This record gives sequence, C-alpha cells and structure tokens, in this order.
Amino acid sequence: MTGNSLILDPTVPGGSAPRHGRKALDGLKGKVVGFIDNAKPNFHHLVDDLAELLVSRYGVASVVKHRKRSASIPAPQAVYADVKEKCDLVITGSGD
Amino acid sequence: MGLAGLTICSTAFETLGRAQARALGCPDLPLAIIPHPFGLRTREEVRQIASECVEDIARLAREAGTAAGALSSGSGGARADRARRLEAPGDHDGFNRYCRERRWSDGLPLVPPTPERVAAMLGHTGRAPESVVAAIAPAYGAATVEVIAINAVMAGCEPQYLPVLIAAVEALSDPKFNLQGIQATTNPVAPWIIVNGPIARELGVNSGLNCLGQGTWANATIGRAVRLVLQNIGGALPGEMDRATQGQPGKYTFCCAENEEANPWEPLHVERGHARERSTVTVVGAAGTLNMNTHAKDADDLLRVLADTLAHPTSNDYYFGGEPWVILSPEHAEVLKLAGLTKADVKRRLWEASRMAASRLAAKDYARVQHTRGAELGAMNAATLVPAAPTADGIGIIVAGGPGTHSVYVPTFGQTRAVTKPVDRD
Repeated sequence: MTGNSLILDPTVPGGSAPRHGRKALDGLKGKVVGFIDNAKPNFHHLVDDLAELLVSRYGVASVVKHRKRSASIPAPQAVYADVKEKCDLVITGSGD
Repeated sequence: MGLAGLTICSTAFETLGRAQARALGCPDLPLAIIPHPFGLRTREEVRQIASECVEDIARLAREAGTAAGALSSGSGGARADRARRLEAPGDHDGFNRYCRERRWSDGLPLVPPTPERVAAMLGHTGRAPESVVAAIAPAYGAATVEVIAINAVMAGCEPQYLPVLIAAVEALSDPKFNLQGIQATTNPVAPWIIVNGPIARELGVNSGLNCLGQGTWANATIGRAVRLVLQNIGGALPGEMDRATQGQPGKYTFCCAENEEANPWEPLHVERGHARERSTVTVVGAAGTLNMNTHAKDADDLLRVLADTLAHPTSNDYYFGGEPWVILSPEHAEVLKLAGLTKADVKRRLWEASRMAASRLAAKDYARVQHTRGAELGAMNAATLVPAAPTADGIGIIVAGGPGTHSVYVPTFGQTRAVTKPVDRD
C-alpha cells in the first residue's frame, strides 16, 4: 500500500501579531537613542561605548539607558513607556 | 509616528533574532551582528567591537525596509482557522519521511493525524475545534483545540487525553510560566507536566514506580504531545528558535502524576487552591532531574542532606530567585511525616538549610545575583546567604514514585513559576 492518505496539518502559521513596518531615520544627528540592556555579561560595556560613539561621532543629542533584570524576561512596561516618550531610536540586545 | 528599532545580536543568535522578529510582526527589524560569545571579550575587545558596531547602527538606522513606513494591520489576534487537509504518503515509511522533511517530529516516528483519528479525539472535549486555547511563544502560533488534537494524535495519545493537553497548553501560556524565555533559551529546560486529581487514575497516568521513566503510555504520550505542540505551533525548532546548548531528555517527554495515596499531606492541587476531587495539570520549567539517594531515617538528617543537594553554585534558581522542586519518595515523605512535620514545615526547613554562601558563586555569577536579586537581598558580601527561592513557599514539593530511598531534585529555569490549571472536560 503506497497510495496517499488525507491528514491534517499539525502546524499553524506563526506570527499572529499585527505587522509593523520598519521606520528609517534621516540620520542620527540630534536624535535621542535608547538602549535596553539585556543584562548579559559585557553588554553594559558595549552600551557605554556605543553611547559615547553615537554622541561623539554621529552627533546624537542624548542617550537613555535601561537594563533588564535578566535576559529571559520582558522589560517592565515602564521601560517601554519611557523609551517611547523620549527616544527616536531604541536599541535592544539579543544573545550573549 | 512610532519609534525606530534595532537589535544588536551575537552571531549565534542571529537565526533566533530574525525568526523572532518575523513572529512578532517586525520582519524588517534591522539586526547589528556582533561576534559570539560576546561575554568572554576583554574590555579592549568590547571597545573595538563597539567601534565597528556603531557604524552598522548608523547605516541600519537610515535604511528603510521593504515594508517601510506606516504600520499595516495584520490579523490582530490569534487565528481560528480550521486545519489544512493535506495529501501525505499512506505507508508508514513514506509518511514519516514526509514528516521528517517538514520537521514535524521530535525525532521519533509519528502516527498519521487522519481526519478520523482527530475527530475521535475532538469528541472528548466540548470545546469547538476552532476555539483558540493560547498563542504559543516564540512564533505565537494559535493553538486551537483542533491543532492540539492533531499533535496529540501524532504523539500517540489516546483520545481521552485531550482535556489534559488543553489544560497543559493553558498553563504553559500563562505569563508567569515565561514560555517565551523557556522556548528560546540556551538552558536545558523542559516543561514538566504534573497531573493531579481523579483524571490521573482514570487515564492511567503513572505516579508510582518509574513514573518519570519509560513504559507508561499516558506519561509518554502526553509529554510527547506537549513537545510537538511547542515545536509545531510554537515554532521552537532545535537550532532555530530553540537555542538549547544541549537540551535534555525531558524535552522528549516529562510527565507524571502525583502519588496522592502515598502523600501524607495535602496533594499539590489542593495546596494550590483546588478541591481534592478536581483534576488539574501543573507545569514546571524543569532543568533536569537529580537522584537524591539517602537511607536517612531521621528527619533532621534527611532534610540536611536534601538541602545540601539543592545548593549548587551553577543554579539558575540561585541566580534569579527561582522555584526549585523536590519529588519526595513515599519513604522519605513518611520519615518527615512521622517527625510531625507539615509540608509547609518541610519547605521552610529546606529553604533555610539550602541557603548558599555567595562566596561559592563564580565572580560573574556573583555580579549577576547582585543585579537580579539586589532588591530582595540588599547589599551582598561573600558571606551573604543566598536562598534558592525568594520565600520558603517557593520550594515546590510533590510525593511520587514507588518503594525506594530515592527522592528527586528538579532544579528550574529560575525565571519561571509553576502554573496549575483545572482540567475541563466540557
């Protein structure tokens, strides 16, 4: 018996979330950049260095830094509200 | 106007980053890639990486994506479509080859989910096939009753197991469980499914000898079905969004019942607020099992060695203030009961005696504990005693297994809490 049989698909399309487009900036000069540090080793150093370079090399107006309690949990709502209010660009970390 | 976003991702996490961005509706999210493992770099190397990364950030921030500009509206919620019908090879080998090519399996042969088998399973719940039980992280696929049943058929479940699986999916998707973290982590975490109440006996879920081992159909296939749901609906495929460094055997199946008859105290579901005659499913983000073999017959002596086993300096529970679990063997539970201890007493004694001197932690982990638990523990020094859970009731206890002097330590992911849901057959 090698014919075909009917089966039901065990998978579903992922991503039932609403789709968001990507927003581009017209350069970084004068912009406010926010960081959400994932609390992995060294990431706070990277954030410090990037903050300095973004200001000195690209004229970023200011940098807002937040650090999560740990990598595997979402940032608190207050962090999202803060970056949404103050920032033009938000940078997060993934991995270690 | 919205906010521009960008993620800095180490190379080993690029696959996850891209898949996760797609799943969350941001397929064009720019990623700035840095070398992995980043945490091992010296301070000078970090400066060098920052110097290159900042150029990527400046470039990526200017680039528009293919779907740049306004937000486009998507489905805006969990979908409730009926499952697609597919033509698959009818023979055993051909069917399994077909599944393997699509990565639908845990690595073992599957049962074909024919419409007849799925319909028979759906007859064991009053819920509509298209009703959505939960969206499963990290892909956030909609787990309808029907798709759960399809995966349960494939795992070899008996039709009457379906209500247990629906309760398990509800529990897994509770935010306290942190399925997103558990599915995508490098840690070896598997959901441990604990069944309580009359349904355990009805379905033959083993709570006694070898209850975490092989040989019982319900334990094996219920745990396996949960894994298939996590892969096929949640999208956590090994090496892709499932980033486990090694994983663990419990990711194939990890399910048992509590041995309520041998439990000298209230069973887990009663402790967690349910009536004794109610059936429940509890899920725990388990990072493995460790045999705690001791002939101790004195309660103090027994608690001392169990607590000593809990304390180890590479434990997520200690890093984050977690919820470590102990499966007491009936014999060990009896020793504690004969000493007049309640379950709450046992938890308190274990919690106190398992506090670990901070000096045992690696320097980086000491810093991690200071950051994650600073609010809880206050200023730390090498002599600070770090508890495995923030409070004594954070130690989880069930009684399970058969005769023998073996209890089991079940450490957890740490950033997770057990969730209990009632089994609803209507």
